[in-house]
Amino acid sequence: MADAPMIEVTGLAKTYGESVKALNGVDLTVQPGEVVCLIGPSGSGKSTLLRSLNFLEEPTGGVVKVAGRRVGFSDKGGQARRLGGRELAAQRAEIGMVFQLFHLWPHLSALENVILGLVEVRGLSTADAARVGHELMRKVDLAHKMDAFPEHLSGGQRQRVAIARALAMNPKVMLFDEPTSALDPELVGEVLAVMEQVAAEGMTMVVATHEMGFARRVADRVVFMDQGKVVEQGTPDEIFGTPKSDRLKRFLERVVA
Amino acid sequence: MNIDFSMVIPYLPILFQAAGVTIVITLLSQGIGTVLGFFLALGRMSRFPVLRGIVWTYVLIFRGTPMLLHLFFVYYAAPAFGVTLEPFPAAIVAMSLSTTAYNCEILRAGLQSVHPGQIEAAQAVGMSWPRILRRVVIPQALRVAIVPYMTNFISHTKGSSLASVITVPELMLTAQMIYSSTYRAIEILTAAGVIYLLLTSALTVLQLWLEKRLRYDERGLSRRRRRQLLLAAGGNG
Repeated sequence: MADAPMIEVTGLAKTYGESVKALNGVDLTVQPGEVVCLIGPSGSGKSTLLRSLNFLEEPTGGVVKVAGRRVGFSDKGGQARRLGGRELAAQRAEIGMVFQLFHLWPHLSALENVILGLVEVRGLSTADAARVGHELMRKVDLAHKMDAFPEHLSGGQRQRVAIARALAMNPKVMLFDEPTSALDPELVGEVLAVMEQVAAEGMTMVVATHEMGFARRVADRVVFMDQGKVVEQGTPDEIFGTPKSDRLKRFLERVVA
Repeated sequence: MNIDFSMVIPYLPILFQAAGVTIVITLLSQGIGTVLGFFLALGRMSRFPVLRGIVWTYVLIFRGTPMLLHLFFVYYAAPAFGVTLEPFPAAIVAMSLSTTAYNCEILRAGLQSVHPGQIEAAQAVGMSWPRILRRVVIPQALRVAIVPYMTNFISHTKGSSLASVITVPELMLTAQMIYSSTYRAIEILTAAGVIYLLLTSALTVLQLWLEKRLRYDERGLSRRRRRQLLLAAGGNG
């Protein structure tokens, strides 16, 4: 592989208290432009893994590297030092994230949600940011809802605004934490369509999802997690067509049935 | 006993002047108490247990003891520690200490009402904590805090009458001095009561206006915001 990996996770562990192991030694490598879907039962560690990638969750062990840089720590002089607030913020600006519950800011219009990061983090003027924002709102097919407040948008529209908000920062990686799990079934398609478009444009994506159809169609690689570990990974055909482990077989029987 | 409200008229200028003192000590102490209360609220939510403990103790003491006692303490007891204050600054200090404790808890309730996901979404786009606070947390916290905040503000306005006991020439003390020389308690106390009611009514109106302003999603975007966002006036962009 000529390119350095975009994401490199080694030995990642997250323990709550004494005994609860949300992540139990996860290794994962994601190449630039690759779309990786994380599947697995609830509580298998998909969300914790995603949230560790931008340090919203602080791992208790292991190393996460995004675009060659260690996330949350600086390795200068061989000594790992926890990053300060500003350095961490700068790092997170390069990593887009879309949440299950959208988390749009309710006091701002859709367009203002999209451009807040450009104004506050990148230092753009409101007008310049708005120009970028208009374009992104068109891209997610919401040009007619730019002045609407989140309260007045459907779940699918909210999630599309959230995707535009993450894209606005022009991130190197996009993380999706079960982006359609909170949506009414008829609204899932519009969000997946936008994600598919983002994938087609070459974005590196890690998607925790229960949408097996999406994983099969869009993912370059599917990673099956259970009990805080990667149990099996491979191409969609391998994972869905010829699953090897019993746990994956049982899981697929349950979700496909 | 005949009641004659026209006797109040010559005293109105003095009463209004006294009301001015009431306004000044109330606004000044509430202003100080808001700024300090805000920082104490942040301290109460800090990840440092010692800081949280200090703020908790402060609130325990100053919310748990009468403001009248704070006034006496600052005015009469503080000189024993080498601090002697005139009535006016003593009142400001005591009233600020008292209302700070309430504002700390009110603002904390507002700040903590903001869903953690709101903050995570801002962290995820790379915003620093001060910016998250200013652009994401505070605007939403205000909406929750405004009613209890204004309730305390109104309560504090009436509580400023306690400053009369350390001879601050505010509305209550002035009314007392007038009726003790004219024996017209009913007329003068009624006049003072009406003035207090006017002051608190102004705050009630302010509260209504603020509540309306903070109903962001019902109000829609202002013309100014539309212009800044390059959106067509009145339309859907």
